[in-house]
Amino acid sequence: MRKIIFPVFLLLIIGLLAAGIRQDNFVARQGWGLLSAEIMFLALILFYWGFEQGKTSSREIALIAVLSAIAAAGRIPFAALPNVQPTTFIVIVSGFVFGPQAGFAVGSTAALVSNFFLGQGPWTPWQMLAWGLAGVSAGLLKIFFPGAGRKWMIGFSFLWGYLYGWIMNIWFWAAFFQPLNWQTFLAAYSASFFLDTLHAAGNALFYAALGNSLIRILRRFQRKLTVEIIP
Amino acid sequence: MRKFFYAEKGLFLQSLHPLAALAFLGTMLVLALAFSHPLYLAGIFLVAGVTVWTAEGLETWESYLKIGLVMMTLIVLINALMVHEGRTILWRGPLIPVFGRITISLEAIYYGLAMGVRLLNVISIFCLFNLIVHPDKIINLFSRFAGKSTLVIALAARMFPVMAQRYENIRAVQQIRGVDFSRGTLKEKVQKSSLLINSLILSSLEDSLEIAESMQARAFGSGPRSRYRRHRWQPRDTLCLAGSAVALGAGLAGLFHGFGAYTFYPQMGCLVDGPGTVAVLLIVLSGLLAPAILNWGWHRCTFLRLKI
Repeated sequence: MRKIIFPVFLLLIIGLLAAGIRQDNFVARQGWGLLSAEIMFLALILFYWGFEQGKTSSREIALIAVLSAIAAAGRIPFAALPNVQPTTFIVIVSGFVFGPQAGFAVGSTAALVSNFFLGQGPWTPWQMLAWGLAGVSAGLLKIFFPGAGRKWMIGFSFLWGYLYGWIMNIWFWAAFFQPLNWQTFLAAYSASFFLDTLHAAGNALFYAALGNSLIRILRRFQRKLTVEIIP
Repeated sequence: MRKFFYAEKGLFLQSLHPLAALAFLGTMLVLALAFSHPLYLAGIFLVAGVTVWTAEGLETWESYLKIGLVMMTLIVLINALMVHEGRTILWRGPLIPVFGRITISLEAIYYGLAMGVRLLNVISIFCLFNLIVHPDKIINLFSRFAGKSTLVIALAARMFPVMAQRYENIRAVQQIRGVDFSRGTLKEKVQKSSLLINSLILSSLEDSLEIAESMQARAFGSGPRSRYRRHRWQPRDTLCLAGSAVALGAGLAGLFHGFGAYTFYPQMGCLVDGPGTVAVLLIVLSGLLAPAILNWGWHRCTFLRLKI
Protein backbone atom coordinates (compact mmCIF):
# COMPACT_ATOMS: atom_id res chain seq x y z
CA MET A 1 0.00 0.00 0.00
CA ARG A 2 2.71 2.47 1.03
CA LYS A 3 4.74 1.77 -2.07
CA ILE A 4 1.93 2.57 -4.49
CA ILE A 5 0.84 5.90 -2.96
CA PHE A 6 3.67 7.92 -4.52
CA PRO A 7 3.22 6.66 -8.10
CA VAL A 8 -0.59 6.89 -7.79
CA PHE A 9 -0.45 10.54 -6.70
CA LEU A 10 2.11 11.36 -9.37
CA LEU A 11 -0.03 9.70 -12.05
CA LEU A 12 -3.09 11.55 -10.76
CA ILE A 13 -1.31 14.91 -11.04
CA ILE A 14 -0.01 14.12 -14.53
CA GLY A 15 -3.46 12.80 -15.52
CA LEU A 16 -5.18 15.99 -14.33
CA LEU A 17 -2.65 18.12 -16.22
CA ALA A 18 -3.05 16.08 -19.41
CA ALA A 19 -6.86 16.02 -19.19
CA GLY A 20 -6.89 19.75 -18.47
CA ILE A 21 -5.06 20.55 -21.69
CA ARG A 22 -7.70 18.80 -23.81
CA GLN A 23 -10.89 20.84 -23.86
CA ASP A 24 -13.49 18.11 -24.33
CA ASN A 25 -13.79 16.42 -20.92
CA PHE A 26 -15.25 17.16 -17.51
CA VAL A 27 -11.80 17.70 -15.96
CA ALA A 28 -11.10 20.59 -18.31
CA ARG A 29 -14.61 21.98 -18.00
CA GLN A 30 -14.16 22.80 -14.32
CA GLY A 31 -11.68 25.51 -15.33
CA TRP A 32 -8.02 26.03 -14.51
CA GLY A 33 -8.79 28.02 -11.36
CA LEU A 34 -10.14 24.92 -9.65
CA LEU A 35 -7.86 22.50 -11.48
CA SER A 36 -4.64 24.31 -10.50
CA ALA A 37 -5.82 24.40 -6.86
CA GLU A 38 -6.55 20.64 -6.97
CA ILE A 39 -3.09 19.86 -8.39
CA MET A 40 -1.46 22.10 -5.78
CA PHE A 41 -3.31 20.35 -2.93
CA LEU A 42 -2.35 16.92 -4.30
CA ALA A 43 1.30 18.02 -4.43
CA LEU A 44 1.12 19.30 -0.84
CA ILE A 45 -0.46 16.03 0.37
CA LEU A 46 2.26 14.08 -1.42
CA PHE A 47 5.04 16.08 0.24
CA TYR A 48 3.46 15.76 3.68
CA TRP A 49 2.96 12.05 3.14
CA GLY A 50 6.67 11.77 2.31
CA PHE A 51 7.56 13.61 5.52
CA GLU A 52 5.29 11.30 7.57
CA GLN A 53 6.94 8.22 6.08
CA GLY A 54 10.51 9.33 6.81
CA LYS A 55 12.22 8.41 10.05
CA THR A 56 12.36 11.60 12.06
CA SER A 57 13.77 11.75 15.57
CA SER A 58 12.48 14.01 18.32
CA ARG A 59 15.57 16.20 17.91
CA GLU A 60 14.91 16.67 14.21
CA ILE A 61 11.25 17.49 14.81
CA ALA A 62 12.16 20.08 17.43
CA LEU A 63 14.85 21.56 15.18
CA ILE A 64 12.51 21.80 12.19
CA ALA A 65 9.91 23.50 14.39
CA VAL A 66 12.45 26.04 15.72
CA LEU A 67 13.77 26.83 12.23
CA SER A 68 10.19 27.17 10.92
CA ALA A 69 9.31 29.54 13.75
CA ILE A 70 12.42 31.64 13.04
CA ALA A 71 11.66 31.68 9.29
CA ALA A 72 8.03 32.58 10.04
CA ALA A 73 9.05 35.38 12.43
CA GLY A 74 11.23 36.72 9.60
CA ARG A 75 8.02 37.68 7.82
CA ILE A 76 7.33 40.41 10.34
CA PRO A 77 8.40 43.54 8.49
CA PHE A 78 11.52 45.04 9.99
CA ALA A 79 12.99 47.03 7.15
CA ALA A 80 10.88 49.62 5.43
CA LEU A 81 11.07 47.65 2.21
CA PRO A 82 8.28 45.47 0.84
CA ASN A 83 9.09 41.85 0.12
CA VAL A 84 12.64 41.96 1.52
CA GLN A 85 12.54 39.31 4.23
CA PRO A 86 14.86 36.51 5.36
CA THR A 87 12.24 33.71 5.23
CA THR A 88 13.18 32.33 1.81
CA PHE A 89 16.87 32.52 2.67
CA ILE A 90 16.42 30.63 5.97
CA VAL A 91 14.33 27.95 4.20
CA ILE A 92 16.98 27.53 1.48
CA VAL A 93 19.82 27.21 4.01
CA SER A 94 17.78 24.72 6.10
CA GLY A 95 17.08 22.60 3.03
CA PHE A 96 20.72 22.77 1.95
CA VAL A 97 22.02 21.53 5.30
CA PHE A 98 19.30 19.12 6.45
CA GLY A 99 18.05 17.74 3.13
CA PRO A 100 14.94 18.01 0.93
CA GLN A 101 12.40 16.62 3.42
CA ALA A 102 13.45 18.91 6.25
CA GLY A 103 13.64 21.78 3.76
CA PHE A 104 10.06 21.20 2.67
CA ALA A 105 8.87 20.91 6.26
CA VAL A 106 10.58 24.16 7.31
CA GLY A 107 9.26 26.08 4.28
CA SER A 108 5.66 24.92 4.38
CA THR A 109 5.39 25.13 8.17
CA ALA A 110 6.81 28.67 8.15
CA ALA A 111 4.13 29.72 5.65
CA LEU A 112 1.25 28.08 7.50
CA VAL A 113 2.28 29.12 11.00
CA SER A 114 3.07 32.73 10.12
CA ASN A 115 -0.37 33.02 8.56
CA PHE A 116 -2.02 31.77 11.76
CA PHE A 117 -0.82 35.11 13.17
CA LEU A 118 -0.82 37.37 10.10
CA GLY A 119 -4.09 36.04 8.61
CA GLN A 120 -4.76 33.08 6.33
CA GLY A 121 -5.75 33.79 2.75
CA PRO A 122 -5.84 32.14 -0.67
CA TRP A 123 -2.10 32.81 -0.66
CA THR A 124 -1.45 30.35 2.22
CA PRO A 125 -1.42 26.99 0.36
CA TRP A 126 0.58 28.49 -2.50
CA GLN A 127 3.10 29.94 -0.06
CA MET A 128 3.33 26.53 1.60
CA LEU A 129 4.09 24.97 -1.76
CA ALA A 130 6.48 27.70 -2.94
CA TRP A 131 8.57 27.86 0.24
CA GLY A 132 8.36 24.07 0.57
CA LEU A 133 9.74 23.69 -2.95
CA ALA A 134 12.50 26.22 -2.20
CA GLY A 135 13.58 23.95 0.68
CA VAL A 136 13.29 20.78 -1.42
CA SER A 137 15.29 22.25 -4.31
CA ALA A 138 18.04 23.44 -1.94
CA GLY A 139 18.19 19.91 -0.50
CA LEU A 140 18.43 18.43 -4.00
CA LEU A 141 21.12 20.97 -4.91
CA LYS A 142 23.17 19.70 -1.99
CA ILE A 143 22.68 16.08 -3.11
CA PHE A 144 23.60 16.64 -6.76
CA PHE A 145 26.11 19.49 -6.34
CA PRO A 146 27.55 19.07 -2.84
CA GLY A 147 30.34 21.49 -3.65
CA ALA A 148 28.07 24.39 -4.62
CA GLY A 149 29.99 27.44 -3.47
CA ARG A 150 28.98 30.84 -2.21
CA LYS A 151 28.50 32.36 -5.66
CA TRP A 152 26.27 29.52 -6.81
CA MET A 153 24.19 29.74 -3.67
CA ILE A 154 23.78 33.50 -4.03
CA GLY A 155 22.57 32.92 -7.60
CA PHE A 156 20.27 30.14 -6.42
CA SER A 157 18.76 32.35 -3.70
CA PHE A 158 18.34 35.19 -6.21
CA LEU A 159 16.56 32.85 -8.63
CA TRP A 160 14.16 31.70 -5.89
CA GLY A 161 13.00 35.28 -5.42
CA TYR A 162 11.52 35.09 -8.91
CA LEU A 163 10.48 31.42 -8.75
CA TYR A 164 8.55 32.09 -5.55
CA GLY A 165 6.68 34.96 -7.18
CA TRP A 166 6.01 32.90 -10.32
CA ILE A 167 4.57 30.01 -8.31
CA MET A 168 2.35 32.46 -6.41
CA ASN A 169 1.20 33.95 -9.74
CA ILE A 170 0.11 30.62 -11.26
CA TRP A 171 -3.25 30.60 -9.53
CA PHE A 172 -3.81 34.34 -10.02
CA TRP A 173 -3.36 33.88 -13.76
CA ALA A 174 -5.20 30.55 -14.06
CA ALA A 175 -8.29 31.48 -12.05
CA PHE A 176 -9.08 34.99 -13.24
CA PHE A 177 -8.18 35.27 -16.90
CA GLN A 178 -9.69 33.87 -20.03
CA PRO A 179 -8.42 32.96 -22.56
CA LEU A 180 -5.20 31.75 -20.98
CA ASN A 181 -2.80 33.02 -23.64
CA TRP A 182 0.69 34.46 -23.46
CA GLN A 183 -0.60 38.05 -23.54
CA THR A 184 -2.58 37.67 -20.30
CA PHE A 185 0.28 35.54 -18.89
CA LEU A 186 2.87 38.23 -19.56
CA ALA A 187 0.61 40.98 -18.23
CA ALA A 188 -0.25 39.07 -15.03
CA TYR A 189 3.37 38.10 -14.42
CA SER A 190 4.82 41.51 -15.20
CA ALA A 191 2.52 43.04 -12.58
CA SER A 192 4.57 41.32 -9.87
CA PHE A 193 7.97 41.85 -11.50
CA PHE A 194 9.06 44.74 -9.27
CA LEU A 195 8.14 42.94 -6.01
CA ASP A 196 9.77 39.72 -7.23
CA THR A 197 12.95 41.62 -8.06
CA LEU A 198 13.05 43.09 -4.55
CA HIS A 199 12.50 39.60 -3.11
CA ALA A 200 15.30 38.16 -5.25
CA ALA A 201 17.71 40.97 -4.39
CA GLY A 202 16.87 40.56 -0.69
CA ASN A 203 17.54 36.81 -0.85
CA ALA A 204 20.89 37.29 -2.58
CA LEU A 205 21.98 40.00 -0.14
CA PHE A 206 20.93 37.91 2.87
CA TYR A 207 22.92 34.97 1.53
CA ALA A 208 25.92 37.17 0.79
CA ALA A 209 25.86 38.63 4.29
CA LEU A 210 25.02 35.56 6.34
CA GLY A 211 24.83 32.43 4.17
CA ASN A 212 28.17 30.74 4.80
CA SER A 213 28.28 31.45 8.53
CA LEU A 214 24.70 30.18 8.95
CA ILE A 215 25.54 27.00 7.05
CA ARG A 216 28.52 26.49 9.38
CA ILE A 217 26.32 27.00 12.47
CA LEU A 218 23.68 24.56 11.20
CA ARG A 219 26.28 21.93 10.17
CA ARG A 220 27.80 22.07 13.62
CA PHE A 221 24.35 21.60 15.06
CA GLN A 222 23.60 18.78 12.63
CA ARG A 223 26.58 16.85 14.01
CA LYS A 224 25.04 17.17 17.47
CA LEU A 225 21.81 15.63 16.19
CA THR A 226 23.26 12.43 14.86
CA VAL A 227 24.28 9.63 17.14
CA GLU A 228 26.95 7.24 15.87
CA ILE A 229 27.37 3.90 17.56
CA ILE A 230 30.99 2.82 17.37
CA PRO A 231 31.24 -0.98 17.41
CA MET B 1 1.86 39.52 16.79
CA ARG B 2 1.70 37.52 20.01
CA LYS B 3 -1.81 36.24 19.47
CA PHE B 4 -3.50 34.19 16.80
CA PHE B 5 -5.32 36.14 14.11
CA TYR B 6 -8.35 34.12 15.24
CA ALA B 7 -10.11 35.63 18.24
CA GLU B 8 -12.33 33.53 20.51
CA LYS B 9 -15.66 35.30 20.92
CA GLY B 10 -17.84 32.41 22.04
CA LEU B 11 -19.87 32.57 18.84
CA PHE B 12 -22.17 29.86 17.55
CA LEU B 13 -20.13 29.50 14.36
CA GLN B 14 -16.96 29.09 16.42
CA SER B 15 -18.55 26.15 18.21
CA LEU B 16 -18.86 24.14 15.00
CA HIS B 17 -16.82 20.95 14.68
CA PRO B 18 -13.69 21.72 12.61
CA LEU B 19 -14.72 19.08 10.05
CA ALA B 20 -18.15 20.69 9.56
CA ALA B 21 -16.58 24.16 9.30
CA LEU B 22 -13.99 22.92 6.79
CA ALA B 23 -16.67 21.15 4.72
CA PHE B 24 -18.72 24.36 4.61
CA LEU B 25 -15.77 26.57 3.64
CA GLY B 26 -14.43 23.98 1.18
CA THR B 27 -17.80 23.74 -0.54
CA MET B 28 -17.98 27.53 -0.88
CA LEU B 29 -14.44 27.58 -2.30
CA VAL B 30 -15.10 24.83 -4.86
CA LEU B 31 -18.35 26.48 -5.98
CA ALA B 32 -16.75 29.94 -6.19
CA LEU B 33 -14.05 28.51 -8.46
CA ALA B 34 -16.31 26.21 -10.47
CA PHE B 35 -19.01 28.75 -11.38
CA SER B 36 -18.28 31.74 -13.57
CA HIS B 37 -21.95 32.76 -13.88
CA PRO B 38 -22.20 36.34 -12.50
CA LEU B 39 -25.43 35.60 -10.59
CA TYR B 40 -23.88 32.58 -8.83
CA LEU B 41 -20.72 34.54 -8.00
CA ALA B 42 -22.77 37.42 -6.63
CA GLY B 43 -24.94 34.96 -4.64
CA ILE B 44 -21.90 33.31 -3.06
CA PHE B 45 -20.55 36.78 -2.20
CA LEU B 46 -23.86 37.56 -0.48
CA VAL B 47 -23.76 34.30 1.51
CA ALA B 48 -20.14 35.00 2.51
CA GLY B 49 -21.12 38.50 3.61
CA VAL B 50 -24.06 37.27 5.70
CA THR B 51 -21.93 34.56 7.33
CA VAL B 52 -19.12 37.05 8.09
CA TRP B 53 -21.72 39.31 9.66
CA THR B 54 -23.04 36.48 11.85
CA ALA B 55 -19.42 35.73 12.81
CA GLU B 56 -19.09 39.38 13.95
CA GLY B 57 -16.16 39.91 11.62
CA LEU B 58 -17.15 42.89 9.50
CA GLU B 59 -14.02 44.84 10.47
CA THR B 60 -11.72 41.95 9.54
CA TRP B 61 -13.67 41.50 6.31
CA GLU B 62 -13.12 45.15 5.44
CA SER B 63 -9.35 44.76 5.68
CA TYR B 64 -9.53 41.62 3.53
CA LEU B 65 -11.76 43.34 0.96
CA LYS B 66 -9.26 46.20 0.67
CA ILE B 67 -6.57 43.73 -0.45
CA GLY B 68 -9.16 42.06 -2.70
CA LEU B 69 -10.16 45.34 -4.35
CA VAL B 70 -6.55 46.15 -5.30
CA MET B 71 -6.21 42.74 -6.94
CA MET B 72 -9.66 43.07 -8.50
CA THR B 73 -8.60 46.34 -10.19
CA LEU B 74 -5.60 44.53 -11.63
CA ILE B 75 -7.80 41.68 -12.90
CA VAL B 76 -10.27 44.05 -14.58
CA LEU B 77 -7.45 46.10 -16.15
CA ILE B 78 -5.52 43.13 -17.53
CA ASN B 79 -8.66 41.44 -18.84
CA ALA B 80 -9.88 44.64 -20.47
CA LEU B 81 -6.56 45.48 -22.12
CA MET B 82 -5.20 42.07 -23.05
CA VAL B 83 -8.24 40.03 -24.10
CA HIS B 84 -9.52 40.68 -27.60
CA GLU B 85 -12.30 38.09 -27.77
CA GLY B 86 -15.23 40.45 -27.18
CA ARG B 87 -17.42 41.69 -30.01
CA THR B 88 -18.71 44.96 -28.52
CA ILE B 89 -15.64 47.15 -28.97
CA LEU B 90 -15.70 50.28 -26.81
CA TRP B 91 -12.29 51.67 -27.66
CA ARG B 92 -9.63 50.93 -30.25
CA GLY B 93 -6.16 51.79 -29.02
CA PRO B 94 -2.72 52.06 -30.58
CA LEU B 95 -0.63 49.18 -31.87
CA ILE B 96 1.81 47.97 -29.20
CA PRO B 97 4.82 45.95 -30.45
CA VAL B 98 4.57 42.82 -28.28
CA PHE B 99 0.87 42.72 -27.45
CA GLY B 100 -0.66 43.81 -30.77
CA ARG B 101 -3.50 46.32 -31.11
CA ILE B 102 -5.10 47.27 -27.80
CA THR B 103 -8.87 47.04 -27.90
CA ILE B 104 -11.24 47.34 -24.97
CA SER B 105 -14.47 45.41 -25.27
CA LEU B 106 -17.53 45.45 -23.05
CA GLU B 107 -17.35 41.66 -22.69
CA ALA B 108 -13.76 41.75 -21.42
CA ILE B 109 -14.63 44.38 -18.78
CA TYR B 110 -17.66 42.34 -17.76
CA TYR B 111 -15.59 39.16 -17.49
CA GLY B 112 -12.96 41.04 -15.48
CA LEU B 113 -15.63 42.30 -13.08
CA ALA B 114 -17.13 38.81 -12.67
CA MET B 115 -13.67 37.39 -11.96
CA GLY B 116 -13.09 40.25 -9.52
CA VAL B 117 -16.17 39.10 -7.60
CA ARG B 118 -14.79 35.54 -7.72
CA LEU B 119 -11.58 36.81 -6.12
CA LEU B 120 -13.54 38.68 -3.43
CA ASN B 121 -15.45 35.43 -2.79
CA VAL B 122 -12.27 33.42 -2.33
CA ILE B 123 -10.74 36.08 -0.09
CA SER B 124 -13.96 36.28 1.98
CA ILE B 125 -14.00 32.48 2.42
CA PHE B 126 -10.46 32.58 3.85
CA CYS B 127 -11.47 35.55 6.01
CA LEU B 128 -14.31 33.40 7.38
CA PHE B 129 -11.83 30.60 8.04
CA ASN B 130 -9.80 33.02 10.19
CA LEU B 131 -12.93 34.10 12.02
CA ILE B 132 -14.53 30.76 12.87
CA VAL B 133 -11.87 28.03 12.96
CA HIS B 134 -9.38 27.95 15.83
CA PRO B 135 -5.92 26.88 14.55
CA ASP B 136 -5.64 24.32 17.36
CA LYS B 137 -8.86 22.66 16.19
CA ILE B 138 -7.42 22.19 12.70
CA ILE B 139 -4.16 20.83 14.09
CA ASN B 140 -6.17 18.47 16.31
CA LEU B 141 -8.29 17.32 13.35
CA PHE B 142 -5.30 16.45 11.18
CA SER B 143 -3.21 14.95 13.98
CA ARG B 144 -4.77 11.55 13.41
CA PHE B 145 -3.60 11.42 9.77
CA ALA B 146 -0.29 13.24 10.02
CA GLY B 147 1.11 13.00 13.54
CA LYS B 148 4.62 14.29 12.85
CA SER B 149 3.66 17.18 10.57
CA THR B 150 0.99 18.45 12.97
CA LEU B 151 3.45 18.16 15.86
CA VAL B 152 5.93 20.32 13.94
CA ILE B 153 3.16 22.82 13.12
CA ALA B 154 1.92 22.91 16.73
CA LEU B 155 5.45 23.39 18.10
CA ALA B 156 6.22 26.11 15.56
CA ALA B 157 2.91 27.85 16.31
CA ARG B 158 3.80 27.81 20.00
CA MET B 159 7.26 29.21 19.31
CA PHE B 160 6.31 31.90 16.83
CA PRO B 161 5.37 34.50 19.49
CA VAL B 162 8.56 33.64 21.43
CA MET B 163 10.69 34.16 18.32
CA ALA B 164 8.87 37.39 17.44
CA GLN B 165 9.51 38.66 20.97
CA ARG B 166 13.19 37.68 20.82
CA TYR B 167 13.48 39.35 17.47
CA GLU B 168 12.14 42.57 18.96
CA ASN B 169 14.47 42.31 21.96
CA ILE B 170 17.59 41.77 19.85
CA ARG B 171 16.52 44.62 17.61
CA ALA B 172 16.01 46.90 20.60
CA VAL B 173 19.46 46.02 21.94
CA GLN B 174 21.02 46.77 18.55
CA GLN B 175 19.16 50.08 18.37
CA ILE B 176 20.47 51.11 21.79
CA ARG B 177 23.94 50.34 20.50
CA GLY B 178 23.33 52.81 17.73
CA VAL B 179 22.24 50.66 14.79
CA ASP B 180 19.60 52.50 12.74
CA PHE B 181 17.61 49.91 10.79
CA SER B 182 15.74 52.42 8.67
CA ARG B 183 18.86 54.08 7.25
CA GLY B 184 21.21 53.10 4.47
CA THR B 185 21.03 51.39 1.11
CA LEU B 186 19.24 48.08 0.54
CA LYS B 187 22.54 46.25 1.03
CA GLU B 188 23.26 48.00 4.32
CA LYS B 189 19.74 47.40 5.62
CA VAL B 190 19.97 43.69 4.79
CA GLN B 191 23.39 43.48 6.47
CA LYS B 192 21.99 45.05 9.64
CA SER B 193 19.04 42.64 9.59
CA SER B 194 21.41 39.71 9.10
CA LEU B 195 22.92 40.49 12.48
CA LEU B 196 19.47 40.07 14.02
CA ILE B 197 18.87 36.71 12.36
CA ASN B 198 22.30 35.45 13.29
CA SER B 199 21.77 36.29 16.97
CA LEU B 200 18.23 34.88 16.89
CA ILE B 201 19.30 31.55 15.40
CA LEU B 202 22.31 31.19 17.70
CA SER B 203 20.22 31.84 20.78
CA SER B 204 17.31 29.63 19.69
CA LEU B 205 18.96 26.47 18.35
CA GLU B 206 19.87 25.23 21.80
CA ASP B 207 16.17 25.50 22.72
CA SER B 208 15.34 22.82 20.21
CA LEU B 209 17.54 20.32 22.07
CA GLU B 210 15.68 21.08 25.28
CA ILE B 211 12.35 20.61 23.53
CA ALA B 212 13.58 17.29 22.12
CA GLU B 213 14.66 16.12 25.57
CA SER B 214 11.33 17.17 26.98
CA MET B 215 9.56 15.21 24.21
CA GLN B 216 11.72 12.20 24.92
CA ALA B 217 10.92 12.48 28.64
CA ARG B 218 7.24 12.39 27.72
CA ALA B 219 7.80 9.10 25.87
CA PHE B 220 7.76 10.50 22.33
CA GLY B 221 8.38 7.74 19.81
CA SER B 222 8.16 4.93 22.37
CA GLY B 223 5.04 3.43 20.83
CA PRO B 224 1.96 4.27 18.78
CA ARG B 225 0.87 7.86 19.21
CA SER B 226 -2.11 8.45 21.47
CA ARG B 227 -4.55 11.31 21.05
CA TYR B 228 -7.74 12.58 22.51
CA ARG B 229 -10.69 14.34 20.98
CA ARG B 230 -11.93 17.53 22.55
CA HIS B 231 -14.58 18.37 20.01
CA ARG B 232 -17.89 16.57 20.09
CA TRP B 233 -19.92 16.11 16.94
CA GLN B 234 -23.25 17.83 17.56
CA PRO B 235 -26.53 18.03 15.62
CA ARG B 236 -25.54 21.52 14.40
CA ASP B 237 -22.54 19.96 12.66
CA THR B 238 -24.73 17.37 10.94
CA LEU B 239 -27.06 20.14 9.73
CA CYS B 240 -24.18 22.28 8.44
CA LEU B 241 -22.63 19.29 6.71
CA ALA B 242 -26.00 18.43 5.14
CA GLY B 243 -26.39 22.02 3.90
CA SER B 244 -22.91 21.95 2.35
CA ALA B 245 -23.56 18.52 0.78
CA VAL B 246 -26.84 19.76 -0.76
CA ALA B 247 -25.13 22.90 -2.11
CA LEU B 248 -22.18 20.99 -3.52
CA GLY B 249 -24.35 18.22 -4.99
CA ALA B 250 -26.82 20.65 -6.58
CA GLY B 251 -24.03 22.91 -7.84
CA LEU B 252 -22.00 20.13 -9.46
CA ALA B 253 -25.11 18.42 -10.88
CA GLY B 254 -26.23 21.80 -12.24
CA LEU B 255 -22.86 22.43 -13.85
CA PHE B 256 -22.86 18.96 -15.38
CA HIS B 257 -26.27 19.59 -16.96
CA GLY B 258 -25.39 23.10 -18.13
CA PHE B 259 -27.28 25.13 -15.50
CA GLY B 260 -25.18 27.96 -14.15
CA ALA B 261 -22.93 27.96 -17.20
CA TYR B 262 -22.40 31.35 -18.77
CA THR B 263 -20.75 32.55 -21.96
CA PHE B 264 -18.87 35.84 -21.90
CA TYR B 265 -17.27 35.69 -25.35
CA PRO B 266 -17.77 36.66 -28.10
CA GLN B 267 -20.99 38.17 -26.79
CA MET B 268 -22.48 38.15 -23.29
CA GLY B 269 -25.13 35.50 -22.71
CA CYS B 270 -28.48 36.00 -21.05
CA LEU B 271 -28.19 36.14 -17.24
CA VAL B 272 -31.28 34.01 -16.65
CA ASP B 273 -31.64 31.51 -19.47
CA GLY B 274 -34.31 29.33 -17.92
CA PRO B 275 -35.94 28.21 -14.68
CA GLY B 276 -33.24 25.55 -14.14
CA THR B 277 -30.52 28.16 -13.58
CA VAL B 278 -32.60 29.96 -10.94
CA ALA B 279 -33.67 26.72 -9.23
CA VAL B 280 -30.09 25.43 -8.93
CA LEU B 281 -28.95 28.87 -7.71
CA LEU B 282 -31.62 28.90 -4.99
CA ILE B 283 -30.77 25.37 -3.81
CA VAL B 284 -27.04 26.18 -3.72
CA LEU B 285 -27.53 29.41 -1.81
CA SER B 286 -29.97 27.94 0.72
CA GLY B 287 -27.59 25.03 1.36
CA LEU B 288 -24.73 27.46 1.94
CA LEU B 289 -26.84 29.64 4.22
CA ALA B 290 -27.33 26.73 6.66
CA PRO B 291 -24.72 27.95 9.22
CA ALA B 292 -26.11 31.52 9.17
CA ILE B 293 -29.70 30.25 9.56
CA LEU B 294 -28.69 27.95 12.42
CA ASN B 295 -26.90 30.87 14.06
CA TRP B 296 -30.12 32.90 13.83
CA GLY B 297 -32.11 29.99 15.29
CA TRP B 298 -29.58 29.52 18.08
CA HIS B 299 -30.07 33.13 19.17
CA ARG B 300 -33.79 33.53 18.53
CA CYS B 301 -35.49 30.16 18.91
CA THR B 302 -35.25 28.38 22.26
CA PHE B 303 -36.49 25.11 20.80
CA LEU B 304 -33.77 25.05 18.15
CA ARG B 305 -31.15 26.11 20.67
CA LEU B 306 -32.00 23.14 22.83
CA LYS B 307 -31.99 20.75 19.90
CA ILE B 308 -28.74 21.76 18.23
